[in-house]
Amino acid sequence: MNIFVRELKSNLRSLIVWGVVVVLFVTIGFSKFSAYYGNPEMLAILDSMPPALLEAFSFQAFNLTTVTGFYGVMFTYFALILSIAAAMWGSDIISKEERDKTVEFSLTLPVTRGRVVTAKALAALVNCIALLLITLAASLVSAAPYQPDDEFYQFLGLCTLALIFMQLIFLAIGIFLGCAMKRYKRSSSVAVGLLLGTYFLSVLSGLHKDLEFLKYVTPFKYFDPGMLLREARLDMLYVGLSLAIIVVSLAGAYLTYARRDLYI
Amino acid sequence: MTMNIFQQEFKMHTRSVITWSLGLTALILLVVSLFSSFAQDAALLNEMMDNFPEQLLTAFGMTGLDLATILGYFSLAFLFVQIFLALQAANYGFSLVSVEEREWTADFLLTKPVGRTRILTSKLLAALSALAITDIVVWASSFFSVSMWAGDAAYDTSTFLLLMASIVPFQLFFLAVGLVVSLLVKRIRNVTPYAMALGFGMYVLSVFGDMLGESALEKITPFKHFEPNYIIQNGAYDLPLVLISVAVIVLSVVGSYLLYARRDIPSAV
Repeated sequence: MNIFVRELKSNLRSLIVWGVVVVLFVTIGFSKFSAYYGNPEMLAILDSMPPALLEAFSFQAFNLTTVTGFYGVMFTYFALILSIAAAMWGSDIISKEERDKTVEFSLTLPVTRGRVVTAKALAALVNCIALLLITLAASLVSAAPYQPDDEFYQFLGLCTLALIFMQLIFLAIGIFLGCAMKRYKRSSSVAVGLLLGTYFLSVLSGLHKDLEFLKYVTPFKYFDPGMLLREARLDMLYVGLSLAIIVVSLAGAYLTYARRDLYI
Repeated sequence: MTMNIFQQEFKMHTRSVITWSLGLTALILLVVSLFSSFAQDAALLNEMMDNFPEQLLTAFGMTGLDLATILGYFSLAFLFVQIFLALQAANYGFSLVSVEEREWTADFLLTKPVGRTRILTSKLLAALSALAITDIVVWASSFFSVSMWAGDAAYDTSTFLLLMASIVPFQLFFLAVGLVVSLLVKRIRNVTPYAMALGFGMYVLSVFGDMLGESALEKITPFKHFEPNYIIQNGAYDLPLVLISVAVIVLSVVGSYLLYARRDIPSAV
């Protein structure tokens, strides 16, 4: 509990910085959305396109003239921002002890290593959830002037759920890297590298049909905003895949940290 | 410049240079190798895009992007190359001096009979050589992949060279800004968040600027100063914007020297 509170406190500043970034992002985004909102020119074009085409390109989700479609476009950026924060918090919260030369101290406390990891992971999790709530609140406040319908709230709920999974995946991977990597300095850059790599793969997988298999590799394809809107549910296959990644990473984290050689 | 410091610094960069270079090569080869299969669909795509409203295209940053030509397609890959180069250069910039203070080696280094200016020069040159090696690898793999997979598609060599040359000032921007910021703050505990904030933040700004049609953002981010689309369409740089970058680089480097010369150095004891 002490460790948990201590970690929350020391991460508060970082949480505030990320919170400000997210709020700024949402506010600027929505302030510019007003230019698209109900733009008749764009609506006319969308109406003139055959429904099959719209379906194929999931333009329903990308219909920037409605607040729901706009949120669908923003979703990708939210996913990116929130998962970067999660990956950095996850890897940093473990490896910073070695960087700051405090690891000897914290591990001589009468607490097992497993419990140290648990306390730290929970603190990082609380941070992630706080950031998610900030995102949600900022989105709700910014969307309110556009009289969103039930569909929007339903979509927002689904997207938030999807964002939780994204955060958990990268948080777990980050914690695992922080625990497992011998070179503690590298863990956060490897975590971010992995994140950007998978993001790149997600862009690539949309380019060509032969690369479609990549959608199983990259978490950024697990929860597609277009699909979330059309089917109004999360794909259970990907939920299972996400859970598997999370469980395996966390198990790996506990196992490796328990028998880790410390750099002092 | 001091040879010892240079060598030591360069050695420290070796592994990272190899990783980045391999990563970038893989990325370029992977994307460009898909060109021929993509080009067939691209003609169809172009036709369709002609029917789209201007605003929609700007929102997705697809204006003036002709994916049916090798250069248009290459610029897609090039954007990712830029992101990674920005992260690498920012990383080097932020850690260049701060690493000594983080690991309590600054007092050791500064007691050597070498002036601070010379230390900074050696370190900068080492980082520059590391970046130069990455550039050479990127150039080589770009030339190779484009000439390999372009097929019959003709492209303008001078435009391509301009595009390739643009990565040098682009990297310098992130290196210099990273360095000066690291000297402005008291202590950097972990380089990655800073490098991410600068490199990725600039990218997001440029994407955001596109999406919202906001031209003020153009002035800040090097992703706009050296936008591949612009270079390919005009066969030239957007000179006023490039000059902004150059000015920022010069100011940052000069500022870094001034700041480092009078910096308070914390020591372990």
